[in-house]
Amino acid sequence: MSQSVRRTSRERLQGAGLDLALPYLLLAPSVLIVLGVLVYPLWDGLRASTKLYRYGTVLRDVGFQNYLHLWSDQQFRNALWVTIRFVTFSVAIETVLGFALALFCLHEFRGIRLLRTALIVPMVITPVVVGIVFRLIYASDVGMITTLSEALGGSQVQILGNPMKAFIGIVVLDVWEWTPLMFLILLAGLQSLPQEPFEAARVDGAGAWRSFVDLTLPMMRPVLAIAIILRTIDAFGTFDQVFVLTHGGPGQATTLVSLYGYDTSFKFQQVGYAAALFVTIGLIVLAFALAAVRLLRRVEPI
Amino acid sequence: MSTVSYQGIVKSFGPFKALHSLDLALPDSTFLALLGPSGCGKTTALRILAGLEMPTGGRVLIGDRDVTRLQPRDRDVAMVFQSYALYPHMTIAENIGYPLKIRKISASERGLKVTDVAAALEIDHLLERHPRHLSGGQRQRVALARAIVRDPAAFLMDEPLSNLDARLRLTMRGEIKRLCQRLGATTLYVTHDQVEALTMADLIAVMSAGELQQLASPGEIYERPANRFVATFVGNPPMNVLQVAVGDGSVHVGGVALKLDTPRLAACSAAKVTEIGLRAEDLHLVESGSDGALTGEVYVVEPMGNETLVDVRIGGERLSVRAHRGFTAPVGSAIGISFDTADACFFNAASFTVVHRAPNHRGKQ
Repeated sequence: MSQSVRRTSRERLQGAGLDLALPYLLLAPSVLIVLGVLVYPLWDGLRASTKLYRYGTVLRDVGFQNYLHLWSDQQFRNALWVTIRFVTFSVAIETVLGFALALFCLHEFRGIRLLRTALIVPMVITPVVVGIVFRLIYASDVGMITTLSEALGGSQVQILGNPMKAFIGIVVLDVWEWTPLMFLILLAGLQSLPQEPFEAARVDGAGAWRSFVDLTLPMMRPVLAIAIILRTIDAFGTFDQVFVLTHGGPGQATTLVSLYGYDTSFKFQQVGYAAALFVTIGLIVLAFALAAVRLLRRVEPI
Repeated sequence: MSTVSYQGIVKSFGPFKALHSLDLALPDSTFLALLGPSGCGKTTALRILAGLEMPTGGRVLIGDRDVTRLQPRDRDVAMVFQSYALYPHMTIAENIGYPLKIRKISASERGLKVTDVAAALEIDHLLERHPRHLSGGQRQRVALARAIVRDPAAFLMDEPLSNLDARLRLTMRGEIKRLCQRLGATTLYVTHDQVEALTMADLIAVMSAGELQQLASPGEIYERPANRFVATFVGNPPMNVLQVAVGDGSVHVGGVALKLDTPRLAACSAAKVTEIGLRAEDLHLVESGSDGALTGEVYVVEPMGNETLVDVRIGGERLSVRAHRGFTAPVGSAIGISFDTADACFFNAASFTVVHRAPNHRGKQ
């Protein structure tokens, strides 16, 4: 009897030790992965941004020289301006279009499931492939638009050769690819809204438009904000599709900061300068996200 | 305020028929309770009047207007929802004022009305808050305020008290009744709680399986139920129903022959009654083996404070009997039950009440 009591108490002690260690043991693999693939590269990038490289080797420490140089770099300022315009137009159009589609798909009718599925397809296609597909659409010699134009008796259509049209071209591509994400997030948001307030508003006298303005929009504000933040952060990093489609051209018309940074690093081998560029972009996006989250906080949770 | 009437309203959801030809007329300034178990079609009937559901057939009239095909906003009704359905992002003042805002009433006039109504419902100190900061009872008051702020033709209430705790429900029951009486409001009130219906309503419409069972005053519903369903649904505890056989000169219940006055006996045998219905308060507990008493066995004794409910088993059937406060009896002991057949009603094989209790008879007590 006493033997068994002693044994169970010892077991309990061992059990307690294991219980205490278990959370750390379970966490260890993910912590190691995060350190290896997230924290270390970030740290290495930060370190690289303070050095001057020539052909892949460090020449000397330059402190914040790279960062200061950025702001007098005409090409960087242009790339930043192109990126901000690209993000603003793309995200704005995607939000409006995604919201409209989500409102439309909220109603149950025949074929709605098929439509919802079809709307998601662009999002799941590999970005590079999207770039190639749009090349085939825009190409001035054998592209879809030119073919259509010629079939209707017109001439070749230059899109990627014209700065303005090329810029519109990459916005259209982004809208085509990412409206589905907006659509999905906003549809989920709409479906989770309580139904009774809308019925109450109908009885109180609100028509479809009033009920949209007075109820749907304010109740969807948190979801809209999250969707816009996510998409904006993501859009700042757009690279593959534009790399394949225009490679930043014609001239610098579609050179996003990601493309400029890529060229700086891999074409011109200015690794330290490129690192400073990306750290700066990272900080700009972070500042935007923090500001947006603060703004969101002010909207009290419903 | 206005009259409301349903004329042959039919509503089907796919193959399921929620309402089979409902005919119901509600006089002006009347409080009508739609009473029935869940799934009986009472909420569907209310939503059809609100315009939130379209009927499959039939007409709905508010006053002389046929509103069957009108949008909710064109019907001039106000509704209180079970979940209150307040606008979560608006303050209480904005919530109450919303129906006025939609009707383009100026902000100053709106403010006055909102303050008035809020004061009447004692929520004037909450006007700047949001619904999430309010308790259930306060939200309920806001929902009521939003309904009464604009003088509609009719009030519709969909189980407005069912989300409140028991104590608050008692208080609000009285307040809603007072409010509706003061406003002279035509009110349609959906509930599954027969106590709410009995205590609040001028008229009760008892529904079951999509059909109107009886439309009458609460007293009538309780004293002269139209059929076995109404008899056993209304009243707490429900009416006791026992098998009965009609002989010459008497009726046989539980192996005992009981006298019944001649005209009612004749009616009973003419209508081929099969069951007898008795309210718990019309049954009296007596010594086992007393003359003319049924003999049973005490199943359970439930003291309620002001009275005691006693469940008695007679053969395979259970009867609820109201006894005086402080009554006790050991479980399993033999006990007698006596009653006056003048208090009984009789059902036929189709469950309709064919012989009602004798008029103006209130038992001997």
